[in-house]
Amino acid sequence: MITIRTIASRAVLGGLAATLMAGTALAQASQCGRKGGDLTFALEARVPGLDQHASNSSATRNVAMNMFETLVTRDENMIPVLELAESMDQSADGLTYTFKLRQGITFHNGKAMTSADVAASFQRYSKIGVDRSILEPVDKWETPDANTFVLKLKEARPTFIEQLSAFTVPVVIIPAENVDAAAGQLPVVGTGPFQLDEFKPDSHVKLKRFAGYKPDTRHTAISGFGGNKEACLDTVTFRMMTEPAARTAALEVGEIQGVEDVPVASQKRLAGSKDIKLTRLELFTMNVAYPNASFPPTDNPKVRQAILAAMDFEEIMDAASDGQYKLNKGFQFPGMNYYSESGAENLNQKNKDKAKKLLAEAGYKGEKVTLLTNREFPYMYNTSLVMAEQLKAAGINAELLVLDWPAALQKSIKETEGWNFFYTGWITVIALGGPQTMRQMAAPNYVWKPKEPDAEFQAAFQTLAGGKTLDERKAAFAKAQARALDQVMAIPFGAMPKTQAVRANVEGFKAYYIPRMSGVWLKS
Amino acid sequence: MARYTLKRLLQMIPLLLLVSLISFGLIKLVPGDPAVVMGGSNATPAEIEVIRRNLGLDQPLWQQLLSFYANLARGDLGRSLLLGQPVMEALVERTPVTLWISLYSLILTVVVGLVTGIVAALRHNTWVDQAVSILALIGVSLPNFWLGLMMIVLFSVWLGWLPTGGYVAPSTSLVGFLQTATMPALSLALLQIGLLTRITRSTMLDVLGQDYIRTARAKGLPETVVVLKHALANVMIPVVTVIGLILSVLLSGSVIIETIFSVPGIGSLLGNAILRRDYPMIQGGLLFVAAALMLLNIVVDVLYGVFDPRVRVDGRG
Amino acid sequence: MAAVDADSLRGPGLLERLRPGRTARRLMRNRAFVLGAILLTVVAVVTLLAPWISPSDPNRMAVRFRFREPSWEYPFGTDNLGRNMVSRVLWGGRLSLEIGLWVVMLNAVFGVMLGAVSGYFRRLDGLLMRVADALMAFPSVLLAIGIAAALGPSVTTVVIALAVVYIPRTARVLRASVLVVRELDYVQAARACGASDLRILLRHVLPNCMAPLIVQLSFVFAYAVLSEAVLSFLGLGAPPTTPSWGILIAEGRSYIREATWLTAIPGAAIAVTVLGLNLLGDGLRDVLDPRLKVDAR
Repeated sequence: MITIRTIASRAVLGGLAATLMAGTALAQASQCGRKGGDLTFALEARVPGLDQHASNSSATRNVAMNMFETLVTRDENMIPVLELAESMDQSADGLTYTFKLRQGITFHNGKAMTSADVAASFQRYSKIGVDRSILEPVDKWETPDANTFVLKLKEARPTFIEQLSAFTVPVVIIPAENVDAAAGQLPVVGTGPFQLDEFKPDSHVKLKRFAGYKPDTRHTAISGFGGNKEACLDTVTFRMMTEPAARTAALEVGEIQGVEDVPVASQKRLAGSKDIKLTRLELFTMNVAYPNASFPPTDNPKVRQAILAAMDFEEIMDAASDGQYKLNKGFQFPGMNYYSESGAENLNQKNKDKAKKLLAEAGYKGEKVTLLTNREFPYMYNTSLVMAEQLKAAGINAELLVLDWPAALQKSIKETEGWNFFYTGWITVIALGGPQTMRQMAAPNYVWKPKEPDAEFQAAFQTLAGGKTLDERKAAFAKAQARALDQVMAIPFGAMPKTQAVRANVEGFKAYYIPRMSGVWLKS
Repeated sequence: MARYTLKRLLQMIPLLLLVSLISFGLIKLVPGDPAVVMGGSNATPAEIEVIRRNLGLDQPLWQQLLSFYANLARGDLGRSLLLGQPVMEALVERTPVTLWISLYSLILTVVVGLVTGIVAALRHNTWVDQAVSILALIGVSLPNFWLGLMMIVLFSVWLGWLPTGGYVAPSTSLVGFLQTATMPALSLALLQIGLLTRITRSTMLDVLGQDYIRTARAKGLPETVVVLKHALANVMIPVVTVIGLILSVLLSGSVIIETIFSVPGIGSLLGNAILRRDYPMIQGGLLFVAAALMLLNIVVDVLYGVFDPRVRVDGRG
Repeated sequence: MAAVDADSLRGPGLLERLRPGRTARRLMRNRAFVLGAILLTVVAVVTLLAPWISPSDPNRMAVRFRFREPSWEYPFGTDNLGRNMVSRVLWGGRLSLEIGLWVVMLNAVFGVMLGAVSGYFRRLDGLLMRVADALMAFPSVLLAIGIAAALGPSVTTVVIALAVVYIPRTARVLRASVLVVRELDYVQAARACGASDLRILLRHVLPNCMAPLIVQLSFVFAYAVLSEAVLSFLGLGAPPTTPSWGILIAEGRSYIREATWLTAIPGAAIAVTVLGLNLLGDGLRDVLDPRLKVDAR
């Protein structure tokens, strides 16, 4: 068996190689301008629990990923990077991944982390992990010694590490004794820089600094979900504040030091305040609608194309985002690995005449087009509202069906009748890269519910998921995207930012997919 | 009285059975499977099926109901799907929060409601009376959640006097409790204050017109004695009534008020359970709340008998 | 909710038949009733005329004109999508009042039916009242959101949910009256003369229970308007394509700091309407319920 010391040859893992080489010799200088202090950060949603294996809620991730860590994760630019693994070797046949674990890592309960813990974590995840399909290519795992963890695949899967490092529902490493914890009942013991102090459901989660944390000295600072983490604060309290106005007000009066999501309407005022700093992730949520291709009239591709042709994306995004948006040319954001503008000519056409012509060709006779939406997420609701108006203007009999989020979601997943368009926001789906995004539209997931698979799209998707080189996969992505937009499998209207804000005395806080508390400190 | 109390307690059992059947029927009617909610937007149908099986949702309805009762007999209400903690534990944790705020609200109601009601009655047909009556009417006409939002804008945003939400237990810090609980308690109390003012005022007027009050006055007793000794005793009946009803109303109101003020009480727990399809929590929580309210009603009816011997036989008419 | 219950505990007051002419004259002399009637008439007329007096379609969006503060051009401002709030408040009132009316009508029909049957035919009483007790054992908002979630958001859903919540209460009020009236001499006399139960119920018992019923229904109307707002606020109300006041408050809550008018105005509209209904109910009770005459001087 030929062992490759690093997997640098793979362009997608280039970042990983760079960090590995850069590592080793870095001195351990504190990132904290000051140690100590307590910070309260407001979350917009309730944290449904802290079992990171069993919950895909972003509220869970926001808090839990300050306490848990994984073997491989994603860095600032969404590129896979080692975290608890010291090294990763991939065999030449692509079937075996050997992870050497970093030394001296202890759990919050004081026990040292060994390969048995890693195996237990994979075991639990494969049973109850929400995204356990990512372990589907795995045949078995082995622990040759306390320091080594080996994954054996059934067949080579070039994108396996991309999937394993996904942060949607990460395979966090837990102590072996928690292997049998039922879903939702995992004791919160991890290896991260913070440990759980108190969890009061629907109220707050309090974290405290973990004294036994061993920072990853291969990096100089935090990077994405990994990197060199250091807890500067004594405690961090995540408070659940679902009322947007209350959240912002609490920040302004200094009751809290940071907020998760600042409404656009409040940003102008906050930007003018010298007590508050705004940080923004420009391209965060992809505002998406997808059709139901099983239910008339959207089972007819011409009708779907007519609908796409009729729409003015600017107006839709303006309403959805209160004016803060960027139109987009595809399913990835500019700057991402797989970004492509193929098929973009289908987006934002504002062409009512074309729409009418397509409708005539399709033999459309005023059948109802049901837009399935909800009010809990105002941007989805506003998107559907404006879309309905635009469709009506093009002679399409659009009608809103407003259910609450659980009911709407269930209907869109389980039912192939009674709805024609569904609205959602893709955040992780986009962030995790091209294959993850296209998986939504491919068999067997099919958000757009085709009666039969689309051969052209499926072929492109196969190459995208299994292609040996990144270039090959990129080309496949472009093909898949062109087909998806031509056949209207999903409509990417545009990107909306995520704006977080902290008080002026909070240092080291950077906007990211989760509010990371490592390296954050308070000026006295 | 002991026999009456016992009889009432026994009557609770079939009623609670009915309550549990209604809530069971209700949650089975609600579209939106908790498995789908838990699976999230990226879950495949197969994954959702696994979650369903883990939750026992794939079993036939009667079996789910039977196992609910079997567990209930062991004092086990199951485990919340959302919080991962046992339903009973969650209820026990949250109940004091709502009770403290309710108590605060109740004190506000009784003090303000009684005082204004009595003052209005004593100053009958003066501007004081009219002002009180109008304010009381406005109190019962305002949507309490709207009032809560407006108070946040006024007291937290503009004036910066009170925190926007959260909860501090009085045992932790009384000042913290008063700071966090005042707006929720006030939003909840306003309707009750208006109500109690109106009832106190009209009962007072009623009582003041009675013969024995006239007699007492004719005997030359000072007005304060007349009011405090003779009239007030009779006013206590509607007060007890309102207190009996108030907890049910406060619980109702707390669903939305606790949500607005981010208070981790029983109202937001159950409201959110329904909105998020947390079956065991809905089922166990509604039963718990219904039982608590029934017990409270019994206590009130017994107290009623203490204040007014005429109603002892069957307080509920 | 509470007012309804508290009032029902007072028991039936008026046991005399309504005499329309005399009652009307007394009502017109009652300040509360007149003020309430005026307020309600204004609200009803304005909302009924919404299609004609609205400056624009309540759903017409003009994103470029969003968040306009109240001004001469937009007396109630515009919302986050630039929709004219005058139109939305007027149309919203239509829906809120319509829902309230439906709940009142359902209460009148089913509350009377169940209350009368339960009070008159004692054999059914136990069962019916236990079911009513069980329904009343739930905090009303929880029961309503449970039903609303079960049936899915629509105007019908809201009406049904609120009807289920308030019918047991109305039925109790009516039952209490029936219990008293059926023991009265002339009812006993009619029975002795061999009149059928149905005839006695319809001719002699029910007409004498109208006063507490009317008072109760006016309060049910008030609570229905308030509860509709609660359900809508929680996202379980009517679909928001035709706005109700509750939906307007819910939509405005995210902008409460920057655009307070979006929440303040619909809330005030609810308050005025409910105030009118409460005044009307007070007036009716003062006039129709002699036990409280002392209150009506």
